[in-house]
Amino acid sequence: MSVFDGLVGQEMAAHELQVAVSDAQLVLGGQAGPAMTHAWLFVGPPGSGRSLAARAFAQALQCQEGGCGQCKDCLDIANRTHPDVVMTEPVGVHYGVEDVRELVAQASGSPIRGRWRVFVLEDADRLESQQMDWKPANVLLKAIEEPAPHTVWILCAPSLQDVIATIKSRCRVVSLRTPSASEVTEVLITKYGAEPELAAAAARISQGHIGQARRYVRDEDTRNRHSDVMNLPASLTTLDACIEAAAQFVETADERMKDSVKGRDTQEREDVRQVYGVGARGIEARGVAKALNDLEKTQKRRAKRARSDAVDLALLDLLSFYRDVLMVQWGADVSLINKEFAAQLHAAAAGASPEITMRRIEEVLRTRATLSGNAAPRLVLEALFATLRDPAVAH
Amino acid sequence: MKFTIDSSALADAVAWAARSLPARPTAPVLAGLLLEAKQTSLTLSGFDLEVSAQISLDTDVEEPGRVLVSGRLLADITRALPHLPVTIATDGPRVNVECGSSRFTLLTLPVEDYPSLPSMPTVSGLIDGPTFTSAISQVAIAAGRDETLPALTGIRLEIEGDTLTLAATDRYRLAVREIPWKPEQSSISATALILGRTLNETAKAMTSATEVELAFSSRDGAVESLVGFSGAGRSTTTRLIDGEFPKYRSLFPDDSATSAQIEKASFIDAVKRVSLVAERNTPIRLAFSSEGLTLEAGTGDEAQASESVDAQVTGEEILIAFNPQYLVDGLNAVVGDYVSMTFVSSSKPAVLTGMLTADAKPDSSYRYLLMPVRMAG
Ligand SMILES: [Zn+2]
Repeated sequence: MSVFDGLVGQEMAAHELQVAVSDAQLVLGGQAGPAMTHAWLFVGPPGSGRSLAARAFAQALQCQEGGCGQCKDCLDIANRTHPDVVMTEPVGVHYGVEDVRELVAQASGSPIRGRWRVFVLEDADRLESQQMDWKPANVLLKAIEEPAPHTVWILCAPSLQDVIATIKSRCRVVSLRTPSASEVTEVLITKYGAEPELAAAAARISQGHIGQARRYVRDEDTRNRHSDVMNLPASLTTLDACIEAAAQFVETADERMKDSVKGRDTQEREDVRQVYGVGARGIEARGVAKALNDLEKTQKRRAKRARSDAVDLALLDLLSFYRDVLMVQWGADVSLINKEFAAQLHAAAAGASPEITMRRIEEVLRTRATLSGNAAPRLVLEALFATLRDPAVAH
Repeated sequence: MKFTIDSSALADAVAWAARSLPARPTAPVLAGLLLEAKQTSLTLSGFDLEVSAQISLDTDVEEPGRVLVSGRLLADITRALPHLPVTIATDGPRVNVECGSSRFTLLTLPVEDYPSLPSMPTVSGLIDGPTFTSAISQVAIAAGRDETLPALTGIRLEIEGDTLTLAATDRYRLAVREIPWKPEQSSISATALILGRTLNETAKAMTSATEVELAFSSRDGAVESLVGFSGAGRSTTTRLIDGEFPKYRSLFPDDSATSAQIEKASFIDAVKRVSLVAERNTPIRLAFSSEGLTLEAGTGDEAQASESVDAQVTGEEILIAFNPQYLVDGLNAVVGDYVSMTFVSSSKPAVLTGMLTADAKPDSSYRYLLMPVRMAG
């Protein structure tokens, strides 16, 4: 049993990391170990398991058995109680300079359990922002350039383009690929006990995003939301209908967001209650109200981000619809993502030329880019739907 | 688990161990205080993943056991107990606290999720507690605060036979203190770099101990990752800084061109008064001559201040400028009523040492090296 077994479709990356782990042993013994280095950049599309891979690497570096998943080191890392492994993510949209300074300060400490000091930064694409006049990325850069002898940085980002060049150039890149539909199907069946047919549909529709695929299998609301998107293009008959659809789209994304953060939010509230000892008798737990209040603020900031992620995921569904329409129009309808919605796809294919479908695809892509710049989603979506309804009325 | 213990002893112990609990724990178990009852002793432990703190108390244990509870809540409870024996006993997932007519029930945290505490390295030697505490506060003032220069935020510990040297520098000043200690092996040679802030806290936590045990996890003379301090039933471990401390010994000049002895209290007052006139952090100029010492601050006609102080000056006349705060820090840190200052030139660092009386020999066990500020014009 190895922690790398949990990574789906990442044999190449897992192999590379395992070689690094054995070279890391050599480095600890004072020998050369060229496959090991101080700064890593894990890139892979959402759902490819970047943070899972980073955690597995951290476990493998600390564990006596190279990542057994069972020993105290492996378990403490999974529980976030290992003194030599720090896993962090931005609280708001971006990392704050103070947060990064704090990390850099911690990174000068030697490992207590005698191996490595590992820092995992999720969403390293959110290190730099124009609002920050002193960019957190620069603070981190200095630490990566002159690392303490036993410090390892693992940065995670969706793609190489998302990370600023100065940091990228100092990191060794590990690319995680999108797992294939058959790989995802197999995991859903063997690991999560899904019905083969549903598993196959989930794998196709989630396009390699394992988290999404699991949700699709498990949760009827998720399936309904997806079918809403499949029915959306046909509903765009009038301008009023477009406005209505945009409102509905945002509302659905909101529900999706709430579902996605619910579990974690509840767990965090429970954690705060434990920390303050809520449930005791004979004494009032002091300070818990304020702590819960602070937590709520953090969660709200995170929800804002999750909401825009949810809109984007729904737009990806819409994109997959038009992609399928194009396939039908080209007569290549053997590998449709949304096979279950053949009727809608064929109707849309019959009602437009491939050029118009292409145009619609471009419009959806343009909208995704606009919304990533924090624009108000509803107005942007109204404009998109109006264009999808009649691509002749372009910007 | 069940034991009975004096409530005020328990309250002190809980308050002490709870100090090392993290403000923002990454997992709820880290907000817990670990209670371990064995035959005749109770041990309380806290760990914030950087510093661990452990305290042991002698007590009668009815039923041994190990339990984790919210440290902050236990501290609140024990603080308010009447001065009577307190009985603590587990009851399923709960812990009952009974003292006189007071009754409390706490929920336990999952003890199996608690990380293993760093083990205390083997003892390397003994130091006098009060001396150690004062030595740390003397050097901690010179430690840097910039996290992007980690090695300079540390206090360096060097052991060479029966001498322990502490040093810290932020590049503008350097403080070095040498103290005798009793090593386990007379041939010992080791170094360690500890975060200044943390070591200062540790020293404060050890003030009640007359003798402090110092424990390095040492391998081939090179200190590994931890240093431990223990005394009076309390022990703490601290993570070391993994970095290079500047080679500082050569910074002290071999010779001096000028030396001056000044009464400390009036010198400090004069520095404070004169620097008040000038803007914050503008340098203060010191002119040493056979007449004594003259202090000046400010530039041009406005806001200029000047004051004279008696000083016993030997050697060449010198005009030198310092950051007034750094100068006051050094004057406060040297021990005695008088300070000795030695100079090479106005562009080279000055060295401050303390003198118990006007006629005493300067005490070189503590030296404060201060970089001058370049004078305009
Ligand atoms: Zn393991």
